[in-house]
Amino acid sequence: MGRRIIITEYLEMDIDESQWHCSRCDKELIDAQTNYKKGCLVYSRDPREIHNPVFEAEYNFAPDPEWVRIIEFYCPECGTQIETEYLPLGHPITHDIEIDVESLKARLDNGELEITDKRLEVRT
Amino acid sequence: MAIPTAEEKLAMIKVEAPDDDELRCVDSLGPGDYEVGFERTNNILDEAMEIFVRSSRSMMGIAGDSMVALFTAKGDLANASCGTYLHAIIQPILIKFILNSYQDNPGIKEGDIWFTNDALYGGIHNPDEVVLMPVFYQGELIAWTGAAVHTTETGASEPGGMPINATSRFMEGLNCPPTKIGENYEIREDFVETLSAFGLRAPQMLVIDLKARATSAHRSLKRIVEMADERGRDYVVGLFRKMLIVAEEGARKRISSWPDGKYTCVNFGDGVGFEVGLVRNSHMALEKKGDSITMDFSGTSPENPYSYNAHVQAAVGHVANYVYEYVFHDLPISSATFAPIDFVFPAGSCLNPDARAATSCSVMIATGIMSGVHNVFGKMMFSTNNMWRQSCASQGNAGNAMVIAGLSQWNLPFADMLAYSLNSEGQGGRPEMDGINAFGFPWCVYGRTPDIEEMENDLPLFIPLSNHWKDSCGHGKYRGGVGTVQIWVVHHVPYLFFMAISDNSKMQTPQPMFGGYAPCTVPGISITNADLMEQMKEGKGLSLELFPMLKEKSIGGDWQNEFFGRATRPVNQNDVITFGFATGGAGYGDPLEREPELVIQDIKDQIISDWSAQNVYKAQYNSETLKLDSEGTESARQEERQVRIQQAKPYNEFEQDWLGQKMDESLLKFYGTWPDAEIVAPPFRP
Repeated sequence: MGRRIIITEYLEMDIDESQWHCSRCDKELIDAQTNYKKGCLVYSRDPREIHNPVFEAEYNFAPDPEWVRIIEFYCPECGTQIETEYLPLGHPITHDIEIDVESLKARLDNGELEITDKRLEVRT
Repeated sequence: MAIPTAEEKLAMIKVEAPDDDELRCVDSLGPGDYEVGFERTNNILDEAMEIFVRSSRSMMGIAGDSMVALFTAKGDLANASCGTYLHAIIQPILIKFILNSYQDNPGIKEGDIWFTNDALYGGIHNPDEVVLMPVFYQGELIAWTGAAVHTTETGASEPGGMPINATSRFMEGLNCPPTKIGENYEIREDFVETLSAFGLRAPQMLVIDLKARATSAHRSLKRIVEMADERGRDYVVGLFRKMLIVAEEGARKRISSWPDGKYTCVNFGDGVGFEVGLVRNSHMALEKKGDSITMDFSGTSPENPYSYNAHVQAAVGHVANYVYEYVFHDLPISSATFAPIDFVFPAGSCLNPDARAATSCSVMIATGIMSGVHNVFGKMMFSTNNMWRQSCASQGNAGNAMVIAGLSQWNLPFADMLAYSLNSEGQGGRPEMDGINAFGFPWCVYGRTPDIEEMENDLPLFIPLSNHWKDSCGHGKYRGGVGTVQIWVVHHVPYLFFMAISDNSKMQTPQPMFGGYAPCTVPGISITNADLMEQMKEGKGLSLELFPMLKEKSIGGDWQNEFFGRATRPVNQNDVITFGFATGGAGYGDPLEREPELVIQDIKDQIISDWSAQNVYKAQYNSETLKLDSEGTESARQEERQVRIQQAKPYNEFEQDWLGQKMDESLLKFYGTWPDAEIVAPPFRP
């Protein structure tokens, strides 16, 4: 195992091996240069399953499933919900995190940054 | 000088280079001078802010949707007190326009009072009116002071200053470019009359708010002159420039500590004006390299024919709200914190529209920015020890602005925005805790939610229900704070006029964070011929609990169910104007990781329903006693994780199916080309 950094609540990046990992079960998801979502299982959820349509009417408290779906990204090993995105039907999925891995590695190697408790700090 | 272009306005946000004299003054500061001086400016500004809130007449002014600020002689913001951070971005542009345009005619002199509310020249939207005063010391311009507040009437095509039916700036009422409205510390009476005439629906509010601005700006001015008397002119000049230097150094140091990369978020709105339709109100790509950031909004939907457009500086203002609150909260509220940040807004988009565009609802189209900025900064900062706790999910950011107008029970004409539903939205979930319930107004974090008694005394309203809005939070490991619900009934007057400026009825704008969910949508509900007052008179125990009331329609009358944004309409005495909803904040983290005890506590506190506890959080408990079944809950959650794995697809397989789907074409007329949101054709402008 190489140097690990917490990137999100459920994602860690192994800087030396250049891999995304699930932080709950350590499952290796995909190469760190690639959209981590491509290493996840994906599901399109009807928003009425999460937002209770309390009363019968066109406008209640639930988003309209003809407009929007909740796109859920799961760890394929442990089923943790790593990320969610509310998208109109057919809208492209967002590549939300594109860390410059080489730059990060160089800054760690040259001592500008260090890792404490899996998080980045400026070396003083 | 002509109307400033988008590029010129973005350039004017940047700090002017220091001249030799300023640098000499900085060097002359002694040990402790900066720290003491900075704190003194905070005290000066807090005093002026207190005066401002107490002197204002509009609901938004009383709530504190305002800013008082100090600027260098060149117009850069050195420090401020607020209120709302929106005005931090706009006022330097306005001062620099005055400096560039009016040195000779009409001239800039001691005692001048300048006024503007025109977004084309650098404002947010025309209800946000600004007073600026140059500070002269011994005949030399050494600084500026400013006071800005949202006054809810502009003489537009609808009451309340944010007309949703406006199709160009010509329907927005008063749009006053920077203008000298007073000399020798006295406001000209002819301008007061002009403002009063534009504010015919509520003249007393416009005039009193104008005087409140001038009074507050003048108080800061007086204190700065006193400071110069005590410590000398060089001290003031050096202190103000030093505040800029410290702020920029602090901002760059912090930015450089984060990992380089690109962070993207897309957000959507479900209507513009009074029409329902999809817009991609923010396509935000933040690229961070070294100690600099570029925020590129290419891919945001084209400008639309309504007032849901924002000029570039107004768009930046909505980045500022988050940046000053969460990222640079410990630095001076200064132009210099934005020195490392560049912006790209494509011409013709709703964030960089034509000069003739209506922009009075800029704050509504900018909800996408307000929300997306949480996600891009949060994902950039979460890996760092210094900032991960600031990675907070989006606030509600619906900004459900509801306006009532007419003749009050005090026989006064009024047109005002109800501050309660704005100022009681929920905060987003945070990395170690829930968002705060009814935390405040995302546009104005220091704003105050008015008391019901204050609202009923000031306006012809009866408010029988005022409560947390159950289940309005975005669910998650740490849920968003819930918003609120009120019922507003016409009281004491035969009728009034009502309009609602909002969206989020078909889909929500905020995106959640790290596996959480967004807040729920907002229905527009009203009741005509309502028997609520009769039932209350009879005293038969009418229940005002929200969900049973909606399910059983326990208030008799004609119920309307609509999109929350609604054009102006009359409402009769005793009718329910609307259910006034303030949205909850977005959720943080996988709901299956929420401590089960917190789920039970939320049920007890009426924050979430049994439905959500069981369907979203998979909590198992005795529904009578609310005794938690810990093992059953863990088992149900583990089962749900397995269900997820079984029903989901690998990314490529999913994407192939997903990209083949599309919304009804009729709902995409404001969106632009699908899915890239490019301009199809320029909107018709009168």
